[in-house]
Formats: sequence, structure tokens, C-alpha cells
Amino acid sequence: MGGCVCKDEDTTPLPNSASNGLIDDHYRPISQCGFKSASTAIHMDTVDELVLETLNVIDTYVETDQEPPTSILTLHAIADQEDGWIQVVTSMIRVIPIHHPLGPAVITLLFDDCPLPTKECVMKLSNILNLSMQVYSQGSPQHRNTCVLLGLLAEKLSGPSSIAILTDTTLNYLIKNLDPTAEPPVILFSLIALEKFAQTTENKVTINKQLESMESHPILQLEKWVDSQCYFKRQVGFCAQWCLDNIFIVKDRVFSYQCVNVEGINVMLNTKDVSEYLKISPDGLEARCDAYSFESVRCTFQVDNGVWFYETLIITPGVMQIGWATKDSSFLNHEGYGIGDDEHSLSYDGCRRLVWYKAHSQKQNRDVWKPGDILGSLLDLDKQEIIFYLNGEPLPPCTEVFKTASKGFFAAASFMSYQQCRFNFGSVPFHYPPTDREFKSFNGCAQLSPEDKVILPRHIFLQQLSKLSVREDSCTLCFDKKASVRLLPCHHWGFCSRCADQLRECPMCRAPIVSKVDMP
Amino acid sequence: MASLPRRIIKETQRLLQEPVPGISAVPDENNARYFHVIVTGPEGSPFEGGLFKLELFLPEDYPMSAPKVRFITKIYHPNIDRLGRICLDILKDKWSPALQIRTVLLSIQALLSAPNPDDPLANDVAELWRVNEAEAIRNAKEWTRKYAMED
Repeated sequence: MGGCVCKDEDTTPLPNSASNGLIDDHYRPISQCGFKSASTAIHMDTVDELVLETLNVIDTYVETDQEPPTSILTLHAIADQEDGWIQVVTSMIRVIPIHHPLGPAVITLLFDDCPLPTKECVMKLSNILNLSMQVYSQGSPQHRNTCVLLGLLAEKLSGPSSIAILTDTTLNYLIKNLDPTAEPPVILFSLIALEKFAQTTENKVTINKQLESMESHPILQLEKWVDSQCYFKRQVGFCAQWCLDNIFIVKDRVFSYQCVNVEGINVMLNTKDVSEYLKISPDGLEARCDAYSFESVRCTFQVDNGVWFYETLIITPGVMQIGWATKDSSFLNHEGYGIGDDEHSLSYDGCRRLVWYKAHSQKQNRDVWKPGDILGSLLDLDKQEIIFYLNGEPLPPCTEVFKTASKGFFAAASFMSYQQCRFNFGSVPFHYPPTDREFKSFNGCAQLSPEDKVILPRHIFLQQLSKLSVREDSCTLCFDKKASVRLLPCHHWGFCSRCADQLRECPMCRAPIVSKVDMP
Repeated sequence: MASLPRRIIKETQRLLQEPVPGISAVPDENNARYFHVIVTGPEGSPFEGGLFKLELFLPEDYPMSAPKVRFITKIYHPNIDRLGRICLDILKDKWSPALQIRTVLLSIQALLSAPNPDDPLANDVAELWRVNEAEAIRNAKEWTRKYAMED
């Protein structure tokens, strides 16, 4: 479960009871002092404690039907008032420590469900941030947190407000942070913030102008870190390359997809089978999510029988659910559902140490994973078991998924905000191949045509799509297949059989459908 | 990205070629399922003169399920809550795959002209709208001036 707190149903975010005893008694009094929206003078220490409390309990908040932790609900109640909103936001900048694996994700989670800030409120915050950019000492977590928040603000306030926040001070601050000698986490989140500001076209033009006026383009320098053994630098390299291919296009730079070497790679992450915000590397083996949603992807190769194995290099230590899924498993990225959250998939999350199946989790007695760790995933369709290995050490076999799925499996994974990993489907030797049984690797058995190996930047892909034309006699719902079905008794027609199969009432008049007849 | 259905391509082309008066809907450069929307406040409503930003997202099984739409600009309206979520039947149980992005946005524009406090999402706003409509309308105008007008 990807931990979206924003479910459509809850519109009254005040706690009615303590949540399932998940929170230490120690914390209770703060969370339950019952804020009403009138009180604005909440002590700053209280807000700080609530933010830290959220950070501590966030990995116990795993079920979607579970009430969010009380600290989150209380913070949202505080943020309902303008002053409270600024208090919560500045508190997050001040207290979230730099090394907590879920730090940036918690900022994102808390921020996203806060009420919409007014423009004045945002400008007030922007002024506070402008001042604080200069006072925080180098290497302090506040810089990283400030950049995370600027990115979130940019994303939330597309358009004029986003342009208003990107003042000269802010822009210069973010660009200065791209200096390769700055702290890699600060570089990383500055780059992500710039990417999100660039979602508004005017900002993109401004940023590009500034970048091009510099002696050497800073992002071109950072791109060289794409294979770095320092995992923070590697994230910077990945994001730099993605930005250069997708957003900050530099004249005369060859797109990565045109120069990447994909010889010997016969299986990739499938760009036609992925939720929309996941970033995939030009060689199709590395993926990263910088969105708020819980992004998922399957690989290109399906297996139906036998024993299969692949490995994943963990690059970020946060929440990812890596494992196996059939095509029936759906990617509900905005609802926070991914691999392991339905009956057609099973996954392991080494951050929370949970095996996931049907959106229910089982705690594993293992260390939390860290950058550089190798997760092995073995699918034995003969014995009907899945075994995960952390650095070669096996977890207990999982068998539940075979009650509901017996074939048609793909390697698959879901990513929380700011998470990244690299897959090895067998194009290079495995680190910890299983020794207790014979297995096959996808790469040894699969084939990809040259055109299927091209990971196109999205703007080029979308350009190609918009040139498609549509036939006159096509289905009025999908415009894809030929219209061939008439609905009875209302006689409305213009649908293909695939769409008609999904209908229970007529899309035109809402009359219940008694029968569907083919038209000549 | 999952390959983009023709339906979405077709709707996008038409939205750009024949825009709806008072509504702009532009697909995101990097995500063809995500639209940046601006709706102008209808004449004669307390929202007149305002420009309201919304986000519209087409889920994986669109058009079999409804688009997800949310106000980004703050608005004082009984059927829109503080997170910008909209209470509108065609976005929920009354969705039909024959409806389109353009019809949805027209319905939202109509909702601005005709608030419905008997089916509220923002309870305090709806309450005021019921007991003191004049004051509610004043508030709505005030919010429109404060949050939905660019200076």
C-alpha cells in the first residue's frame, strides 16, 4: 500500500478515536487535545513534536481502511488556518532529519492533504523561505527540506502562483544548489523542484534561459553521475539525465535513447505497461518515482511455467513493493494501490519489512534494506512458491498468490515518492543466484525487437500520438474498434463489442440493457 | 506510460481545436491523461469575474469510469470542499461513458451558476447557504475577489 492519506471518502479529518493502539501512549496527550479551527496560537514545539511523531508512526500506517495516525489528523486540523498552515510547513523544514529514509515522503504526504493555501499564504511562506535560504548552515537538513517543499509548492500551484513563487531569489537558490560540490541530497531535491516548477511553461522558459546563460550547463555536469557508486549521486545523475531528455532540452545534445547501448538487453521495464509518472532509464532497467502517487510497472516478458529469478539493486532505502504480478493486477497509483495490493500480485517491501498480498501485509524478521542491497525474487511455478532473498538470505516461501493466479506472471514493482531501483533480468551476472534449485533468467529466453527497445522521451512520444487519425465508423466510446453493436430495448448504437461488454445501462439514455445485437 | 487510448487522443484534439467558451483544458506536456483546466466564473453568479483553476485526470479505465476533477483555486461553494473536491453526481454514480471531458467541465460550470446546498460537501458553507443565502453569496464574492482574480 502506497500510503495515500487522501481517500475520497473522508471529508471530516478530525480523529474520533485513537487508532488501533499503534501510537505510543507517550504521544497521546498532544494528539488528543482537540484543536478547533479557531485556535491559531499553537505552540511551535507542539507542531514540531507532531511532525516527528508522524515520522515515527508512518511505517505502521499501512492499511488503506485504517484511520490515519492521529498526529496527521491533528496537523491537518492545525493547517486549516492560515497561520497554522505556515507553522506546519516551516516545522517540517526545521525538524525532518536528513537520514530518515521516509523523510521526504512524509513531507509529501503531510503537505498533500493539507488544505489549499491561499496565494497570500504562499507568498508569506515564500518570503520566509527566501530569508531562511540564507541563514541555514551548509549541510543542514533544512536546505534539503526547503527544496522538497519548493517542489511540492510548484506542483500544487501550477500557473500564475507557481510563477509568483519562482522569484529571482528562489531560482538563483535552486540553481546555485546544482553546484557539484553541494550536498548530493540538496542537489537532488533542487533538481526535482526545478523540474516541477517547469511544469508551468513560463517557468520552464525562465529556468532554461538561466541555465543556458551559465558558463557550463550545471545539469550536463550532473548527468555524468548516472552510474555513480555513491547512491545519492546516482539519483542526481538519473534525474539530471531525465530532465535533459524530457524538460530542459539542450541544443546539440543527443537524446539518451539515441546513444544508449541496449545490445544484450532482451527484457526491459515496459513503457506501455506503466503508470504515468514513473521515470524509466533509457536502457529500460532502472526506474524512479518523484510524484506523490504510488507508481507501478511490469516488465516486458511473461512467464507461465518453470522457475525464474531476477535481482533488484536497491538505490533508495524507502518504500518500494517489488515482486510478481499478472496482467490482471491493476495500477491504481492515485489510490495508493500497487504490486501486492490485489490478489493478482505479491511483493516485498524491505523498508517496512513487509510481504504484501491482497493489500495485506506480513511482517518479516529482517533488517531494513539500504542502498546497495540486492533483492532477489524467485518464482517457482512448479512448486508454486515465491521466495525473496535479501543479499542472498532467503525469506520464508510465499504461496498465497497461487490460490488466485497460476500463470502469466511478470516481474513488477511499485514506488513511493523519491524511490529508485535497478533491475537485473539476467543481462549481467546475478550477485546471489539461488543454489538450491535450477532456474532460468528472462534475458536468456526473451527477445525484443529493436523498436521495442526504444524508451522515447514522453514529449516525443506524445507528439507522435497526436498525429494519429480516427476512422469515421469507429466506436463512439473508445474510437478504437469498429462500431457494431445495438443496445435493446433502447436501440442506441455506435459501440464496439468490447465496450458494449462493459455496459450495464445505455450510455446515451441510461436505460437498462436487456440485450445487445450485432449490426451488419 | 500505458499506451494512450484513441478516445483520449480524439477528445484532446477536439478540445484544442474547438474550445468550449469560458473553459480552457490543456493536457500536461508530460502526461496526456492530466489536464490543466481554467473555468471562468459564470455571469450573474457570485463567481463572476473569477478564473478558477482545476485539475482533471483520466483514470486507467476511462471512459468506463469518470475523470477525477478537483478545484485548485480556493472557492466558497456548498458542493466543493476545502481540498477542492467536487460533489457532482456525474462524477460519481451518474457517470456515463458517453459523457466527455467537455461535458463534465460544462456541468461544473453549471454547478457554479446553481449551487445546491441540499447535497453538500462543505457542510459549514452549505449550512450558511441555507440559513442566510445573502451572506453566503457575499462570502462567495469575497473569496472570488480574493483568490480567483489575478491582479
